[in-house]
Amino acid sequence: MSLSAFLIQGIVVLLLAPFSTGCARLFKARLQGRSGASPFLPYVRFATLLRKEMVIANTTSWVFHVTPIVVVSTSVFAATSLPLLSDAGAPGGLDNFIVFSAILALGSVFLVLGGLDPGTAFGGMGSSREMTLASLVEPAMITTFAAFAVVSGHSDISGMLNVGGAALLQYPSLIISLVALGLCTLAENARYPVDNPATHLELTMVHEAMILEYSGASLALLEYASSLRLTVFSLLIANIVVPLPLFSAALSLPSVSVTIAAAIVKLVVAMLLLAILESSIPKMRFYRMQEYLSVTYFIALAGLVFSLIPLS
Amino acid sequence: MMQDLLVSRGIIFCIVGTLLSGIVGLGGSTSFWHRASQALLVLSNVIGILAAVSFFSSGADTLPLFRLPFLFHTTFVLDKLSGLFFLMTTTVTSLVGLFALRYVEGYRESYNIRALDMTAALFIFGMQTVLLTTNIAAFMLCWEVMSVASFFLVMTDREEASMKAAFLYLTMTQLGASALIAGFFLLSHGSGLVDFATIASTARMLPASTIVFAFALLFFGFGSKAGLVPFHLWLPEAHPRAPSHISALMSGIMLKIALYGFLRVVLFLLPPLPAAAGLVVLTIGLLSGLFGVLHAVVDRDIKRTLAFSSIENLGLIFAMIGLGMYANSIGLDALAGIAVAAALFHSANHALFKSGLFLCAGAIVQETHTHRLEAMGGLAKAMPLLTGAFCLLALAASALPPFGTFFGEWTFLEAIIGALPKSPLPTKGILLITLSGVVLVSGLAIFAMVKLFAIASLGLPRSVAASHAKEPTVWINAPILIFVALSLLAGISSSYMLHALSPALIGFLPARASSMTVATGRLSPPALFLLLLIVLVLTVMVTRLCGNRLRRSSHVWDCGQPVDASMEYTATAFSSPIRFFFRFLLHHRKTVTSVPLVANNPWIAKHSMSVNADSVWFDTLYGWIASLLLWLSTQAKRLQNGIIQFYLLLIFLTLVLSLLVAV
Repeated sequence: MSLSAFLIQGIVVLLLAPFSTGCARLFKARLQGRSGASPFLPYVRFATLLRKEMVIANTTSWVFHVTPIVVVSTSVFAATSLPLLSDAGAPGGLDNFIVFSAILALGSVFLVLGGLDPGTAFGGMGSSREMTLASLVEPAMITTFAAFAVVSGHSDISGMLNVGGAALLQYPSLIISLVALGLCTLAENARYPVDNPATHLELTMVHEAMILEYSGASLALLEYASSLRLTVFSLLIANIVVPLPLFSAALSLPSVSVTIAAAIVKLVVAMLLLAILESSIPKMRFYRMQEYLSVTYFIALAGLVFSLIPLS
Repeated sequence: MMQDLLVSRGIIFCIVGTLLSGIVGLGGSTSFWHRASQALLVLSNVIGILAAVSFFSSGADTLPLFRLPFLFHTTFVLDKLSGLFFLMTTTVTSLVGLFALRYVEGYRESYNIRALDMTAALFIFGMQTVLLTTNIAAFMLCWEVMSVASFFLVMTDREEASMKAAFLYLTMTQLGASALIAGFFLLSHGSGLVDFATIASTARMLPASTIVFAFALLFFGFGSKAGLVPFHLWLPEAHPRAPSHISALMSGIMLKIALYGFLRVVLFLLPPLPAAAGLVVLTIGLLSGLFGVLHAVVDRDIKRTLAFSSIENLGLIFAMIGLGMYANSIGLDALAGIAVAAALFHSANHALFKSGLFLCAGAIVQETHTHRLEAMGGLAKAMPLLTGAFCLLALAASALPPFGTFFGEWTFLEAIIGALPKSPLPTKGILLITLSGVVLVSGLAIFAMVKLFAIASLGLPRSVAASHAKEPTVWINAPILIFVALSLLAGISSSYMLHALSPALIGFLPARASSMTVATGRLSPPALFLLLLIVLVLTVMVTRLCGNRLRRSSHVWDCGQPVDASMEYTATAFSSPIRFFFRFLLHHRKTVTSVPLVANNPWIAKHSMSVNADSVWFDTLYGWIASLLLWLSTQAKRLQNGIIQFYLLLIFLTLVLSLLVAV
């Protein structure tokens, strides 16, 4: 990928991230009979948070300050390296799927450390849960992408898009892997049925419990990181299903603008689907998570096994 | 020629200097003698590093060093494999020596420092020489110097529990050593003076059953030293009891010496083994990885957690080697090459990060006076530099980018996935099981390391001692920081190093894969490192520019009631989901006892919960063996009936029997 394609993708995805969270909230509100706020509200919220004074707990250490920066960096890393708008493949093979899942794990690790640093029971609870989820989702993620790697013959995610779209019908096993990827996405992004993104009830929260002590710019960074992560996952799955309007290394104005418009449409559709899902299922009890995680893992494994059986 | 001479002089200087440092340490009990001894140790090992590096740069395959006629006529030889492990040993030893300079002085009351320095030097000397020996008798002699010296090191603090751990260790290591001797003797027709090259050529003529039996004995011998499940019992007991710098050597290096012995036997001495042998190694490796990591997740002792993590890492390394052996036996040469290279690279990384982590643990224990994670906490505020290094080493141990461990595991997984479509059906199953096992273990390893770092360093101090902790001196911090730097360096240069460790270049599998080297795919570690760095710097800049700089310090959000350390999450609480999810593997027994506080009301009661986290192995496998042995010795006791004529008869019968056997 040329550097400019790299930059355009990074900037556009970074700008779209708050919009996707806003969309998800709007659709969810509409489905639940509320009128909901504008999808552009998160932009205002981030701007407000950035201007606010930070209140820092006096029990915290350097880890508390490092956390938001590392967490947002891992999301930005994913947003720039993956084939979200451009299918040209990142320089140095950085869109490798194992790198992707390890970078996500790095972000989760720091989120966990930031949650434990103030020494409150809330933070500890959220951290313990998030660490459990992250360490057990990572195997499922790698297995899921391994199926795509086996079928497409590429270990770079940009190469895996070759078997996306209409080609998925030639490899039906990948549809199973796609389901597993969806389940991983829900767990990685702290959505239903794993976590409730809208609650502050201590029994249910995972992600919110960890960032409870953050305020001001740090909180803005952490919330931005999570909406960026959601955007990255949504665009990634959308591109596997519909890999069509992506610009290549040779940039041209029409292709770039069409791709950006398509990306917005993809995001809106993905958020609508997410809102429908979140409005129709309940959250699972945390101590039943091993069922969810093992189901995810075994679906991923089934996808990998079926993709190894030659179709003739 | 000149370079060869310098290299061999350097290595001789290194070995002799290590031994001399022990003698200097014996000189007196003042801190002058201790410091002189450690300084000599560091100096000689730095020279050892330089010699090993220049050996690699000279490109020679083997370098004979010297010949000792009085020691079974053994020739000491350096080759690529032993050179690699020699480099690991000297690197870790020199940093550990630097650490011991001040660290040991803190324990003047509880340790006998003269004896400690001498035994430690002997231990290191044993590890260095065992790598260079080329015949059975000398190998076993150096092996025993290493084992016995480490036995004494485990009981340095002369406490009851340490004695117990040391004797358990001695039992296991001597069982292992006797299996090694038996295995070697099977290969050499009962002679101890045969050198390895001769064995390699004569072993091809032996019947297959003898080879397999010898392999089983040698695998048990080396595997029990490397702490593989189910021969791992001694490891989590003995490693944490030794002084921390010795624990670093035991976990970082001694386990690698066992690995070296195994590689030497499998790849150089034995003829090609059946595929089943590789599968056994793979299974045992994956089992060790899983058990090690689960216990590392749930354990509550800082050094025991690290010891369990060593079991996990050695398990992964043996799984890689097992898969390599299997792939080699069925003709998947590319996979075999990458698996062995990844195993070697992972062991080098493990030597760096695990030694660093044990040194961190030592520094923390010295400040907090406890091994229990539950009594620590709040250290990140008091010692930012040490906990920063601790955090980075824990990330390296969790196999996260941009550390070398990540690239090692990445290469291995990538190789498995690459080999999946092309391989026949049973191999596919084995590759899938390996893939699932390795990713599960590496996922849980993140949990274990985060727990270790976070519970020890974050939050509020959970004990008075932890709240008085302060940043250690630069002499303690510097070696740890060097370990961090080396781990990062291993990550950045990983594609170069993986290439250099490929079997063809290191000297394995000479007959079958002479030209094959490891290709590391498209991923470029420096690019990853660079992009991470750029993104981090940009984030910091943007936050600085846009964010409000005003900060106010306040108490935590406490719902109106002050929060104290007793409300924090502990190690037990933090790992409770994993303990619950894997309860069928961990067999922890939770007992809740209730004591009524008011006599006539059973509902007002004081509850206390305890989790029994003892290993299941003591109750099952080892318990059965112990009761069998006890029964046998009770039966044998009947011979001791006190009648002198009966004893004379027994002596006579023994004499007749031995004459019959001998003649």
